[in-house]
Amino acid sequence: MGGFSKTITGRVVLRVDEVEKGLLVSLADQVCEFVSPEPRESADPLAAIVGIDMEAEFPDDPAMARLFPDAYPDDPEAALDFRRFTQRSLQENKLAHARTVLQTLSKSGEKITLGAGDVPSWLGFLNDARLAIGTRIEITEENHEELADLPEDDPRHGMFHVYDWLTYLQESLVQLLLPQK
Amino acid sequence: MSSQLDVASPETVTAVDRPWITLVWNDPINLMSYVTFVFMEYFKYDRAKAELLMLDVHEKGRAVVSNGTREEMERDVAAMHGYGLWATLMKDD
Repeated sequence: MGGFSKTITGRVVLRVDEVEKGLLVSLADQVCEFVSPEPRESADPLAAIVGIDMEAEFPDDPAMARLFPDAYPDDPEAALDFRRFTQRSLQENKLAHARTVLQTLSKSGEKITLGAGDVPSWLGFLNDARLAIGTRIEITEENHEELADLPEDDPRHGMFHVYDWLTYLQESLVQLLLPQK
Repeated sequence: MSSQLDVASPETVTAVDRPWITLVWNDPINLMSYVTFVFMEYFKYDRAKAELLMLDVHEKGRAVVSNGTREEMERDVAAMHGYGLWATLMKDD
């Protein structure tokens, strides 16, 4: 298993085996489901077009709250306003990233070649998936070893290893994108 | 948006026209390299400045990454949320 690499002509490539590819498809599906905006029957159609969601509330789910944090920590009213004017478009952007990843995967074999336009979506998807999983397993800067040593029957065991792999993938992609010093 | 109207009202217009700041907060998930990349890509900071800000976030728990009008800072915060960074805005007073 390797991370992302660049070809001589600068194309970004990821080689995966069948299991890893299946895992990426499944993760992108889950991210799609997770970030999809809730349908609003009462929504003003014009407001919906410009991404305004007057029914948005602070999310109960910690992973959602991490992906869409309060912009004004000391001003709940302004925070809610901000959420109503931004969250829906942010959700739609994240959904578009995950869908692009699914498209790339569906037309690739075990060698995945990213078009230049696909790179931001892959980067965004990897980060969103890590934020969601990392929040679920309650990762901190100190508990990596503890999570890595969990027994296999602990539900967080598998999630941690997926998280760790996504971290490796994301790091390899970022290193390709950062200009050389 | 009501919050933008507030900025234009006379009592909140200050001599310094850029009184709002965007803060990025430390979190255990975002990679140091990724945070540097985001600061370079979105704010067009050079690598040295982006890395200094990233290290401030990592070591001090937060950093001021931009300043401007309230409207500009709301745009920056929304962009940071788009990248998955934990960002907030406040008036610098």
